[in-house]
Order: sequence, then C-alpha cells, then structure tokens
Amino acid sequence: MSGRSPEETKPSRGPKAWRFDDPQVGLDDGDADDAGGSVDRGRRRAVSITREPDRIDDDPPPPDPALQPRRRAAWGAILMASLAALVMLGVGIGIEGLIRELFARAPWLGWMAAAMALLAGIALVAIVLRELVGLLRERRIEHLRSEAARVLAEDDAEGAQALAGALVAFHVTRPGTARGREEIAQLSEAILEAQDRLVIVERALLAEADRAARRAVAQAARRVSVVTAVSPRALIDIAFVIYAAIRLLRRIAGIYGGRPGFFGSLRLARSAIDHLAVTGGVAMGDDMIQQVVGHGLAARLSTKLGEGVVNGAMTARFGLAAIAVCRPMPFIGAPAPRFGDVAGDLLSRRGAGEPDTPDSRARDGGNPPRD
Amino acid sequence: MLPASPIRPTIDALRHFGRAARNSYDPVLRIGVTGLARSGKTVFTTALVHHLITQGDLPALQASGEGRLRRARLVPQPDDDVPRFAYEEHLARLVEARQWPESTTRISQLRLALDYERGRGSWFGGPARLTLDIVDYPGEWLLDLALIDEEFADWSREVITAARAPQRHDIAGPFLAQLDALDPLAPADEQRIAQFAQTFKAYLTALRQGPEAIATTPPGRFLMPGDLAGSPALTFAPLVLVPGAALPRGSLAALMQRRYEAYKRHVVTPFFRDHFRHLDRQIVLVDVLSALDGGAQALAELEHALDRVLLAMRAGRNSWLTRLFAPRTERVLFAATKADHLHQSQHRAMEAILRHLVERAIGRVRAAGAQVGAVAIAALRATHETTVREGAEVVRAVAGTPEAGERIGETVFDGATEAAVFPGDLPEDPARVFAGASHGGIAPGSLRFPRFRPPATPAHLPGRKARLPHIRLDRALEFLIGDHLR
Repeated sequence: MSGRSPEETKPSRGPKAWRFDDPQVGLDDGDADDAGGSVDRGRRRAVSITREPDRIDDDPPPPDPALQPRRRAAWGAILMASLAALVMLGVGIGIEGLIRELFARAPWLGWMAAAMALLAGIALVAIVLRELVGLLRERRIEHLRSEAARVLAEDDAEGAQALAGALVAFHVTRPGTARGREEIAQLSEAILEAQDRLVIVERALLAEADRAARRAVAQAARRVSVVTAVSPRALIDIAFVIYAAIRLLRRIAGIYGGRPGFFGSLRLARSAIDHLAVTGGVAMGDDMIQQVVGHGLAARLSTKLGEGVVNGAMTARFGLAAIAVCRPMPFIGAPAPRFGDVAGDLLSRRGAGEPDTPDSRARDGGNPPRD
Repeated sequence: MLPASPIRPTIDALRHFGRAARNSYDPVLRIGVTGLARSGKTVFTTALVHHLITQGDLPALQASGEGRLRRARLVPQPDDDVPRFAYEEHLARLVEARQWPESTTRISQLRLALDYERGRGSWFGGPARLTLDIVDYPGEWLLDLALIDEEFADWSREVITAARAPQRHDIAGPFLAQLDALDPLAPADEQRIAQFAQTFKAYLTALRQGPEAIATTPPGRFLMPGDLAGSPALTFAPLVLVPGAALPRGSLAALMQRRYEAYKRHVVTPFFRDHFRHLDRQIVLVDVLSALDGGAQALAELEHALDRVLLAMRAGRNSWLTRLFAPRTERVLFAATKADHLHQSQHRAMEAILRHLVERAIGRVRAAGAQVGAVAIAALRATHETTVREGAEVVRAVAGTPEAGERIGETVFDGATEAAVFPGDLPEDPARVFAGASHGGIAPGSLRFPRFRPPATPAHLPGRKARLPHIRLDRALEFLIGDHLR
C-alpha cells in the first residue's frame, strides 16, 4: 500500500467517529486544488476532515486491445513441417534404394553403406537431442529471469527464496561459483526482503560471469573495428560483422550457462535484436553522441577507420543486448553494463591489451599514484 | 428408506446433456451467489445487474473496459415456477429511500442477456451473446444443505449438545425443559409435537437474534418458511435418542424422524438440486466484518458453516465428459463484502483475514481443480474515504451516513448526519483474529463496524441516471464471467 504514514502502523488504535455536524470538525471537500489553503482553514477547528478521491488504487489499467495477439492457425508452420516431412521421406527412400543397390552389387558394400546410414542416424539423433537440451536450458534461463522480475515487482519474499534455490541449482555444474553458492546456502534461513536476497544472489553467482561477458563484448567490438578498418571489401566487412555477432552471442550464452545449439542461437539472436530495437532508441541519447562526434573525427582521418569504429560500436551494442537476453536475472544490484564500458576504447585506442572494463578503471582510480 | 434409485441421476444427466447441447450455440452461465443470511446477496445481485445494464464504470471487467460489451438487458427467466428477482424494487429502495433491502424471504431468479463483441483473442470475431442466470434466496436456507447427508439421530445430538452449551443457557432454557420432559418413545401426539416444534422454532429465532449469531442453525425453513409455513414437514424437533436403538412404530421419535426425512426430501433436496448442484460459477459472499465484530467465537462458527456449505457443492475442473453430463463449478470466488467500511489501506488485511477464514475450503476447492480467488468488495459503496487530522494525529477513515442508533464510543448517530468513522486497525497477522483476547487476539471493543446507509445519490447532470459506486465489483465480475466474454 502506498502512502502509509508512520502513525498508521501504530498498533491498535480504538475505533473512533467524528460527526460532520460537530462544531469542532472542519470539512474540506478536496475539490479545490489549493489543498494547503483549505487545510489551514480546517486547522482552526480541532479536527479537519479531507475528502480523498473516490478511487481504489489497486485497479489495474485496462489492457490495450491492440496489444493482444490474435490467435490464428499456424498455417505457415504446418506448411513448413509437412514439406520437411516429405523431403525427409524422399531422402529416406533414396538412401534405402542406394543401400539396396549396393547390396545387389556386392554384399560388403551394402553392409558398409548400412553401417554409415546407422551412424548418420545416431549422429542425427544426438544433434537433435543437443538442440533440444539447449532450447530447454534457454527456456529455463528465460523463466528464471521473468520469475526474478515478478518477485521484484510483487516483493514476494518466499518467491525470492525459491528463486535463489533455483539459481543455485542452475549454477551447480559451474565450479567457479562454489563460494557464491555456499554464501547463498548460509543465507537460506535468514529473513530477507525479496530485493535484498536477489541482490546477494546476483553478486554471489553472477559477478564473475558479468566481468567475463563484458570482456567478451569489448574484445569482439575491438576485433570487428580492426578487421573492418583493414579489410579491402565491404562484403567481407558485412560477413565478418555477422560472424562476430554470432560468435559473441554464443560466447555470452556460454558464459551465463546456456548451451545454445543452432535453433537456440537463432532464438537468442531474435530476442537480442528485439531487445536492441526496444532499447536502442533510448540508449542512443546518452552515449551515441560521443560516438558520432568521434566518428566525425575518425572519418576525417580515414573513411575506413570511421567505418571500423561504427561497426565496432554496433557489435558492442549487440553484445549488450545479448547480455540482457542471456543473463538468468535482470540487473538488480549490479549496474547494467553501459555502452561506454564495452566500447570506450574504440576511440581512445590506448593500451591495445587491456579492455576498458569498469573494474580496470576502478583499479586505476583505486590506487592512484603508482608511478 | 428406499434404496437410491438410478432414475433420478439418469434424468439429471440427460437434462444436462440437453443443456450442454443448447449451450454450444446459446451459452448460458449459471452463477451461484452463495452467502449466509445478511451477507449481502440481494445487494450484490442488484448492483451486478445495475452495473451491467447501465454501461460503464467496470474498467477491470475486460470486455467492458475494452468497450466490447454492447448492452445487457433483463430477459424472461427460464423457470416459470420461480418468482422474478425484484430488481427494480430493490434498486428504488436503495437509491430513493436509501435503505438496505429487507432480508429475503423467498427464492427468486433473474436472467440477464449480455450482447458483446468477441475479442481479438478468440477464434471467431463478431457479435455474440452470453446469458447469465442468477438466483437469490434466503441465506437461512443455505445451511440446510449440510443436512442432506445427516441422519436424524446425528442431527439431534448435534443440536442438543450445542443448546446445552453454557453461553446459550438463557436462550435454550424453555426448549431444553420441554425436551427433558418429553419421552421419545411415547406414542405420537400431534398436539404436543406442534407445541414442541413451536418451542424449538422460538429457540432458533432467539439464537438468530443473539449477538454471536453469524450462521443460523438449520433447519432454515423454520425461520424463513416461504410458502411451507405450518406444513408437517416443518413441524419437528430434535429428540434425545439412544444411539443404535430401533424406534418403535407410532412413537414420537419415529414420527419426528419421518418428518425430518420428509423435510430433507421435499424441502432441502429440491432446493439443492434445482439451484445449487449445477452452477458454473460461484461467488461466496462472506461478511467478515460482522464476524470480527462478534469475536473469535463468531468467526469460528462462520468458518465451520461455510465449510459445511461448500462441502455440498460440486467444484472442480471439467473434463469433456463431466461438461456434458454433470458439469462442475469451475471457478469459486470468495468475496469479503462491505469493504467500504474500511479505508483501502486496510483492504489487504481484510483479504488476508478472509483467506485465513476460508483456508480449508480454498484448499479443498483448489485440490479439486477449480480456480479460486479471494477479494474484498463492496457491491454498493456507502462511504467515501477521508483523511482526518486531529491535532498531530492523522487517521485515514471512511465517511458516510451511519444508520440511526449506531454508536461508536460516546458518539451516537441519528441516521441523517454524515460522519467520518475509523473502525480500528485490522490485525496484520490474520491468525490473530481466531485467538482469544488473552492470547494476542483482538481485544473486545478495539474494532467497531457501524452500519452505513446506502449513499446519497450525487447530483448528476439532469436527465442522466446516477450510477451506484462500488469497490472491485468489476474485478469480481472479471473473475466470474470474464473468460466467457473473450
């Protein structure tokens, strides 16, 4: 409930009534905007009564009908699935015919072909399984993230505890988080607000991964900018940018515990691009200006160099979106990495080795005079 | 007793099959408004109809908020042998005389047709119609449902044990005196039976007037006989019986037992069968505040009574088979009524108390697969909210016109002047309401909920009808019928 003043939480005051016709009571209809003035008028009497708006605050805003997806039959999916099934049948017949022919020619050829087909089948099953496992894992990450958002929004302490357990279980195969898991286990009995618990969990489990992801993005951005700057053809630029983006996405997913296969990567890429579309405009305002100014400067030096900087910036932005969709929690206590954190060195180009991550900056700031 | 005949269930199943077939092109939703006496069933039904047929002001009901609800109107009801719910009279009484409806004495029924546009989420677009059937009935009859599975001997023992409780000593005196003087095995004598039944009825009436009477003791028709007054099925009383002993033919006990069974067969069972067994949705109105006023004892009684009533209901998820032949109630909403007696900052505590109160019932209904909700509502909001500043103290209170004769502390109300009322703080921990005052429970007198008169009609634009204010009626409706208006 909002607007609780400390007096209201005072335990058990007795029931009380104030008649409006009591001369001690001053009324204030609350219609007038100058609430301060009317309160003063009321204060001359012993009791002043202010009317509140006739509104119950928990009513949810009516949903926008335009936002509701219309349920439609998935004819496209049905078409694709049935065509794929037909192709598979065709391929099956082809292989079967081939093996038959080989048997007719020489039995040992036939046996070899049969073994190959078997091997291929096993490999196919393994690939499908891996894809499935990757997709399920991704689902799980998504579920954890949305659950964290819900727990935060509803301030649900029990939900936070359950979520902490789920996150620990999710990280159990990652030896690097052993100490963090230990810390959370010690807190499991403590009574904590939902947000406090999630902040602790975030720090204990994800701090290391956050650093690694940030490093990965900075590295990829730098590499893209360098390669674009030296590559002779625009086509090669494009190919390399796409290749780097995919690699970066998979790497970040791996850092946060996902193991996306082909389809998983596609899905992730789609949500990362969606995320970019949503956040891009907002972020543009705060950090893009320096980039544009910088680009102007770089472009004056060399067109190629300028393109490199822009491509690097693009990769960095994509990397940030990838972090947002791969992380099993939203950023709660830890600051979300900003554009400057991962692409700051695209322009200044100082120290080719160490990327300009916040911790390196903090180190610099923390021990000032080393020389 | 006759063995259970298979004919009745078969007829029932066939009737439902017919209904299901009809529902496929002309959907009818039966809404059960369940509540003990004085829990506000009539007001709820009136307000529900009012808000649906005078459009608007139901933002949380999705169909209405999206502007898809085109119109609603009252249409002739399906059962010709049940009186029509006097909606217009109730509304006039509320708005013009500013009085609450008198307690309901007989069953009545209402049918409401809603024309709406299907939402974007549904398979087909275009206009559609949903028909709602709502039944209003005296809350006193409700507890009779618990009798269906009870034998005369068990019921007698229960009633007599309760009557012998020390706090009922004054009320139950004459009844117990006659009971002790009576020999159950003596030959039946119509005169004495009538007299004894009269004493029993007087005892029940006195119980109902008592301070802690939240739930009435069945049989409810003794208090609200409807058109059965004086019939033999209503002329019986509990007797002290030896467990397991056979009752001689022609004895007083045998006759009483026969009448008890007749009451069950001719009164309770038809009422249950026709109006309760096949509800699609159910809203259980609980007057939490009056029970709080009555103390821990009243709350315990309320909990017990509600639990018994809900045991008789059939709630759960429908499979296609049950949907066709024996539909179950798929959604049950528990609503704490009279939320307008509290400032909205206390509504959450009120809901917590409600949830705590009906915990057992919620668990059972949910386990059966039905959806359960709990909400604090006021079908007709009689107050508005105010901030009262008295010296340094700030109190958030409600203001309205308390009924004549209500009092809080030294303040007595005359039924005409408005007043701001702070009823006391509800406990944060709902478990405290069941504890005695010495065990951290609510101290007597720390909560007081005076009754308010219905609100004065605000001066609206000329020629436009005023709309009654409410609290969360739209959310309750969304839960009950929202999924059918998609």
